[in-house]
Amino acid sequence: MSRPRLSNVLAAIFCLVWVFPVYWMINSAFKPRSELLTTSPHFVPYHPTFDNFVTAVTQANFLTNLRNSVIVVSVTVVLSIVVGIFAAAALSRFRFTGRRAILVVILAVQMLPGTALLIPMFALFNTANLLGTYFALILAYLATTLPFSIWVMRGFFVAIPKEIEEAARCDGAGTWRILVSVLFPLVGPGVIATSIFAFIAAWNDYLVAYTFMQDQSRYTLPVWLASFTNPISGTDYGGQMAASVIFSLPVVVFFLFIQRNLVAGMSAGAVKG
Amino acid sequence: MTVETPTGTQKETAPAPSARGRRPDLTPLWLLTPAGVVITLVTLLPIVYLVYTSFTNYDQKTLFTGEFRYTGLEQYTSLLSSGAFWRSLLRTVLFTAAMVAGSMVIGMAVSHLLTRVSRFWRHTTTVVLILAWAMPNVASSLVWNWLFQPGYGVVNWALAQVRVFGDTTSLNWAGDPALAYTAIWLLIVWQAVPFIALTLNAAEQQVPPEYQEAARLDGASEFTVYRVITLTFLRPTLLLVTILSVIWDYNVFNQIWLFSGGGPGDSTSTLGVYTYKTAFVGFQIGQGAAISVITTVLLLGLTALYIRNLLRSGEDL
Repeated sequence: MSRPRLSNVLAAIFCLVWVFPVYWMINSAFKPRSELLTTSPHFVPYHPTFDNFVTAVTQANFLTNLRNSVIVVSVTVVLSIVVGIFAAAALSRFRFTGRRAILVVILAVQMLPGTALLIPMFALFNTANLLGTYFALILAYLATTLPFSIWVMRGFFVAIPKEIEEAARCDGAGTWRILVSVLFPLVGPGVIATSIFAFIAAWNDYLVAYTFMQDQSRYTLPVWLASFTNPISGTDYGGQMAASVIFSLPVVVFFLFIQRNLVAGMSAGAVKG
Repeated sequence: MTVETPTGTQKETAPAPSARGRRPDLTPLWLLTPAGVVITLVTLLPIVYLVYTSFTNYDQKTLFTGEFRYTGLEQYTSLLSSGAFWRSLLRTVLFTAAMVAGSMVIGMAVSHLLTRVSRFWRHTTTVVLILAWAMPNVASSLVWNWLFQPGYGVVNWALAQVRVFGDTTSLNWAGDPALAYTAIWLLIVWQAVPFIALTLNAAEQQVPPEYQEAARLDGASEFTVYRVITLTFLRPTLLLVTILSVIWDYNVFNQIWLFSGGGPGDSTSTLGVYTYKTAFVGFQIGQGAAISVITTVLLLGLTALYIRNLLRSGEDL
């Protein structure tokens, strides 16, 4: 097939335009304040500095908010996997009445608008005095991550050939033994992909944390990121861009990690843009 | 939308892991219980409660006293007679259409471009797409604020260099409805194109080349080959990606909230922002719940369409 040069030129132009916002974030993160606020922008930092990063991580709430994020995200990921893997196994290796209905519900709940769950959860957690607790955030995140985890892991289970199961059965293994010793180890890659998806969903959430936590020391990193914006005293864009780099880095690394599964597993409505 | 935990009855279909010819295997029931409990607790119960509060006068007082009463359809009638709600709905529909159209057209073009470039550019473009896709939308919204910042933003500087629009240095993008929509549209499209382009490209690589070759031999132009052959093969994927885009774009919140806050006034308050403001700024929980119910019902049709297509496209349930 001929590869006309024009296509390459178009691709180059597209790449330049599309990567620019990311480039500008990184470029701004390394500029001293005097270079950020210039009448003609510098396309590279003339005097690169780590000052903005230092400013960002020495912010009053950075460490507490980081800790909140890490705790809430890890518990969410672990629960999504542990609770999800059993359900995924049930929905892929067994046939029973109501299976299709459950799968349809699992798909449907992922399509709910954010506020549809946010409002009743807020009211219920308020009644139960749970607003501002990790517990409230984790439950809210599970509403998103669990159905999705079940769906993705189920895809991995379905791909395991029946013969493996039958061979184990001939060797006298029972249903649970087969699940734990044969099937679970085989969906290892699925567990990794699912963990990353769940991590990204919980790590990126701004709305639930902002609405439920109601206190600077209880916020998570996305809310901390937005807190640099200050219409009154002026936003510290250098600090905010450095903070954005720090915050986005793990997500980008993980994304590159699972890019193979991304397109395949994405049609179930996964990581939202 | 209620779901019963499955009764563990099992059809004796062949190699299902059940002991043959004994009582029904209860294993799936045990396996599903934990997830069933969690999903009931965090999804089904809240949905029921959402519908319930939409028939009450749950408001800011209720948050402290816990008292509220049943008001029937009042929340709905006051909504349907409110101009703000209809304007918000109209904004959502139009803006969603604009975002979906923009990201689909560019996504299709990039997907096709990826099939015609050298290996190096294919690789580079993929990495760039993944970078844009991977950015958390909180971060990208804040980067947008900085790109479009009045005074020192690089976009205003670039526009000023073009000298077509006069001195644009202090153009305030968040302060003008049309400009705010433009900037948010660019942000959403920028982040939505990667998923669309890469998903379509995965499908486009599956198109059997013999068909395209045959059409070329018959003297069809490249455009005709794309329109007649490639698009025919892409149709199922296109449909799925379009439905998903509509659902996602209809629900966009963070980007609007962080870029314009729904302003100036409420000119960029789409349904998501309007609901949020009602429920969490004015704390009219009952009213917010009613808007959410209507929003969800409007989405249900699309969701049903999406699931039906997913099932058809070879997802064996």
